[in-house]
Amino acid sequence: MATKEAEEVYEKKVLDRVSDAFVDALANLFDKIRPGWKVRNQARVDEWKLMFYAFNRSPIGIAGAVLVAIFIIIAIIGPWIAPFSYGTSLALCNQTAYLAHPGTVVKIPKGCEALGVKPGTYRLILGGDSFGRDLFSRILYGARTSFVVMILVLLVGPWIGVALGLISGYYGGAVDETIMRITDMFLVFPGLILAIAFSAVLPSRISIFLKDHPWVGSFFLHLFALHPTERGALASLVSVIIALWIVWWPGYARLVRGMVLSEKENTYVEAARALGVSTTSILFRHILPNILGPILVYLSLDSGGVILTEAGLSFLGVGAVPPIADWGRIIYDGSQYFPSAWWLVFFPGLAILLTVLGFNLLGDTLRDILDPRTRRSIEFRLKKKPKTKEEGEEK
Amino acid sequence: MNSKELINYMKSTFGEPMVEVVDLKKYFPVKGVFRTIGYVRAVDGVSFIVPKGKTLGLVGESGCGKTTTGRLILRLIEPTSGHVYFDGKDIFKLKGKKLLEFRRKAQMVFQDPYMSLDPRMTVFDIIMEPIRAHKIKVEDPQKFVVNLLYEVGLNETHLYRYPHEFSGGQRQRIAVARVLALEPEFIVLDEPTSALDVSVQAQILNMLKDLQAKRGLTYLFISHDLGVVRYMSDYIAVMYLGKIVEMGPAEEVFEKPLHPYTKMLFASMPVPDPFEAKKKPKVEVIGEPPSPINPPPGCRFHPRCQYAMDICRKKEPPLVMAEKGHFVACWLYAKK
Repeated sequence: MATKEAEEVYEKKVLDRVSDAFVDALANLFDKIRPGWKVRNQARVDEWKLMFYAFNRSPIGIAGAVLVAIFIIIAIIGPWIAPFSYGTSLALCNQTAYLAHPGTVVKIPKGCEALGVKPGTYRLILGGDSFGRDLFSRILYGARTSFVVMILVLLVGPWIGVALGLISGYYGGAVDETIMRITDMFLVFPGLILAIAFSAVLPSRISIFLKDHPWVGSFFLHLFALHPTERGALASLVSVIIALWIVWWPGYARLVRGMVLSEKENTYVEAARALGVSTTSILFRHILPNILGPILVYLSLDSGGVILTEAGLSFLGVGAVPPIADWGRIIYDGSQYFPSAWWLVFFPGLAILLTVLGFNLLGDTLRDILDPRTRRSIEFRLKKKPKTKEEGEEK
Repeated sequence: MNSKELINYMKSTFGEPMVEVVDLKKYFPVKGVFRTIGYVRAVDGVSFIVPKGKTLGLVGESGCGKTTTGRLILRLIEPTSGHVYFDGKDIFKLKGKKLLEFRRKAQMVFQDPYMSLDPRMTVFDIIMEPIRAHKIKVEDPQKFVVNLLYEVGLNETHLYRYPHEFSGGQRQRIAVARVLALEPEFIVLDEPTSALDVSVQAQILNMLKDLQAKRGLTYLFISHDLGVVRYMSDYIAVMYLGKIVEMGPAEEVFEKPLHPYTKMLFASMPVPDPFEAKKKPKVEVIGEPPSPINPPPGCRFHPRCQYAMDICRKKEPPLVMAEKGHFVACWLYAKK
C-alpha cells in the first residue's frame, strides 16, 4: 500500500516519527468519530505525512513553528503562570517597584493583601512600569489579548472576503462588478486608517450592546482573562475586533476572486454542473478545497499582521484602554519613560517581533509546502538515495 | 425546405429521435473597450436529430462549433436562439426539479480526463457525487460504486485513490463510471479519446460500444478524428463554421460524400494501406477556415471550394435531401 511506499522511500528523522505519530493519532480519532474514515482516506493521511516530512526538512519553518507554539502556549496558560495580575500596582506597597529595573527584588510587607499579593520578596525579572506593575506579568497577559484578538479576527474577517470572492468570481457579470467596486472602496483607504476610524467610532455603540447583553460581556471577560471589574474596558477590545473584520476582508475577496476565475475554467466544474450538482456544492465542495492552500498561507501570514495592527492601534490610543495588558499599549505607556526605562519598550517590542516573525516564517514555509510545484521539488530532494541505510523499521 | 420539414424528413428516415435540435444558434459576444464589437457565430442555425439508441457522429475541424453544440444540447450554456427537444420537451424551458430530472437522463463525458475530475476527491467521492446531488438512495454505496467500476474495467482497489494516481485511460473510465451512476439515456461524448494514446483509445471506444449495447444508450459522438467517428457512429453530421453541411448514415457519407467540404475532409484522412491510398482520388486541401466572427457571405465554404459558382457567393445553400436519408447543404444539389 501507499503507506509502505512512504516508509521505504523517505529517510525518516526523529521529527518525522513525531509527526507520523501525530497524524496517525489524528486519523485514529477521525476513524473513531466516523467508522471507516481511515480506509477511505488513506491517501489523504499519507499526503499529510508527506507534508510534515517536507515541513520537517525546513529549519526556517521549524523555527517559525516553535515561536508560534511558544506564543500560543503563553497566550493560553500565561494568565495562570503570571506572578501578579496585570493590574496589580506593587508601588502602592513598595516604592522600589516604581519603574524598577529588570531583576529588581521587591519586598512586599504585610498589609498588602488587598492588592491580592502575599507578603514576601519577589524578583521583577523584566522590571516594573510607572504604576509599579510587573512587566513580565503584563507581557504574559498581553499575549492572551493579542491571541484572542487574532483568532477572533481571522475566524470571521477573511471568510467574509472568501465568501464574497467565491460569489464574485463564480457568477461574474454585474454581481462581480458590484462586489469588486465595493471592495475597491475599502481598499482605497489604508487599512490602519480605516481601522482607526472604526475603532474610534464603534466603542460607544458596543458598550451599550454589552450592557444590554451581559452574557456576551462575561464571555469576552473570560476570553481575555480580565477582572470582572474591567467590564467597561471590554468595548474597546471588541470594537478593535470588529474594526479589523471590516478592514480584513477586501484583500481576501480579491485573492479568492482571482483564484476562482482560473479554477472555474477547469472542466471538472462544468462536469459537476452537467451532473446536476448545485451551485453551492460546486463552490464549497469543489472550488473552495482546491484554492484552500493559498488561503491558508495568507491566513498564517496575516496572523502576524493582525497582531501587529492590533498593537499599532493600541499604541495609537484607539485600541485597548488601560489597565488592560496589551503589547501596543505597554509600549505606548512606556515610551514616555524612554530611554531611561528602556525595558518598558524593549521587552513588549521583542514579544511582538518574535511572534510576528514566527508567523511569517511559518507562513513562508507553508507556502512552499502547499504549492504543488515547490512541494514536488522538496519531496524529490527528500527521497532516499538508493542503497543508503536500512529501511525505517516498522512501528 | 424549412427546419420543421427537415426535422420531419430526418425523423422519417433516421427513426424516432431522442434529441431534436431546431435552428440552434449561439453567438458569443466579442467585447471591445466600451461595447460589443461583434459576435463569434459558434453555432449558427443547426437542425438535426439524434435517433434513439443510435450514435450520431458530429465531425468537423477545430473551432467549427461541435463542442458548443454539445454543450448547448445539455444546457451547459444558454443558446442565443433555437430549441432543443429532449424526449419531446424543450430543455431551455425546464426549471428546478424538471431540469434536474433532465440532467439525470442526459450526461456528458468530457474531452480531457486530466481536467474533468476534481483532483481533491477520491474515486469513491467522484462517482458518488451525482448520486448525492440528485439525492438518490443507494443501499450500499460502496458496493454500488464497485459495481460501476467493474462495469468500466476498474476494480475495488481503485476505490479510495485520487485521480492523479491514474493514467489518462483509467481516468476516462472513471469519468464514464460517474456518468453511468445516474443511469442516463443519452450521453454526449465530447472527443472522449482525443487526449489518449491510440491503443487506449481503442479500449475506451470498445467499452463505450459495449455499454451502449448493454444499456441501450444514445450517443452524440463529437470528434475530429474521422476514423474514430466511422467506427463509432450510425449517422454522421459534418459541421463547417457553425453550420451542418452534410448529414446521413455513416457508411453512405463515408463511401459517397456529396459536399465538397466533406470530400476534402475525407481526403485528408490518412489511409493505412499504401496501395489503397494510391487509388484514392486526390482532393487538394485549400486554405484555412475563415474567422467565425465575420463568415463569408453566401456559402461559407465558397472561398475554399473548387466548384464555387456565382450563386455560392451570394446566397446561402439550404440543407436539402439529396438522396434518401442523405442531406447536404450545397448549391450543386439544391434547386436554385
